Amino acid sequence: MSHTWLGLLSLIITLVGYYGAKRLYGKLGYWWAAPILLAPVLIIAAVLLLDIPLPSYFEYTHFLVLLLGPATIAFALPIYRERALIARYPITLTLGVMAGLLLGLLSSWGLVKLFELPPELGHSVLVRSVSTPFAMEATTAFGGVPELTAMVVLMTGIIGMLLCGPLFRLGRVRSALARGAALGASAHGAGAAKAREYGEEEAVVASLTMIFTGIAMVLTAPLFALLLV
Amino acid sequence: MTLEQGKAKLKRSARHAGLTLLQAAAICLLAWLAHGLVLYFDLPLPGGVVGLGVLLLLLSLKWVPEQSLQAGAAWLLGDLLLFFIPPVISVIQYEAVLEQYGAQMLGFLVAGSVTVLLGTAWVVDRVFKFERRLRLSRELARLEFGAAK
Repeated sequence: MSHTWLGLLSLIITLVGYYGAKRLYGKLGYWWAAPILLAPVLIIAAVLLLDIPLPSYFEYTHFLVLLLGPATIAFALPIYRERALIARYPITLTLGVMAGLLLGLLSSWGLVKLFELPPELGHSVLVRSVSTPFAMEATTAFGGVPELTAMVVLMTGIIGMLLCGPLFRLGRVRSALARGAALGASAHGAGAAKAREYGEEEAVVASLTMIFTGIAMVLTAPLFALLLV
Repeated sequence: MTLEQGKAKLKRSARHAGLTLLQAAAICLLAWLAHGLVLYFDLPLPGGVVGLGVLLLLLSLKWVPEQSLQAGAAWLLGDLLLFFIPPVISVIQYEAVLEQYGAQMLGFLVAGSVTVLLGTAWVVDRVFKFERRLRLSRELARLEFGAAK
């Protein structure tokens, strides 16, 4: 098959894999069917089975990645919509964002040393707790590899989604604000989706914390890069 | 469902899809303009964050109605995962690194997530109780002041 055909096939595989997983999860609801886990697994399996070379895979799918920029801008709408909640808890939200950002960066920095990860990985994982469009922007400041960053951000989301239930019970975390902020700061989009299962206020707080932590990460990355790398 | 109902439903979803696409295109245009702005003025900020700030300002001033971008933004944010699947797929080229450090990576990620999840929850729980007390005492003071007048 020619290059272009493989490229088109890759785009179709990606779209079908993603929207298929999304529909399946909507019907089944099992954690392993969550699109964040099932879609990449299905698509990687298809790419490996069909032996599609990566340049062909990227020929058309790279247009999807370009939409991460506009997605960053679209975050203005949920911020505007939830302005009443922001006005009600400005101190809590601000300190939640600061705690999430600092804990995310410093725990990653310390744990990279503890687990003795090589520099190529170590620089790519520092921004792992923020949402992808922000992480991809910020990771270059730390000298990270965007592809590796995308993967650890995804895995961080899955892990946060799976761990939050037992950890909330263990840590006796009961208030909606604490649950929402913890999910938004630690597991970004996956955490915000999970927060919806706890309640509407949790979901809104998780989204806001995720967005503000992401923005704060992008803005402070050059400074932290000087201090940590 | 009768044929008529089916047709009406199809028409509605086609209209919604068209509207979503148009609004998403408008947001893409804004992203492109914000990028140009950053390049032109040589700003030390990424285009995405500048665009977000500009759009938030336009919404607050009511120059851009919320409804006019709602569907497009909902799609861009709802299907965010789709847009970063390609870079995730390309990690297969780092297979060797991941095979060698896979177990360490997993340990690293779990330890990090536990720290951020519990740490943030702990901080927010305390601040939230403080801020709630602050709000209540402020409201109480306002009520008392009102009664005294």
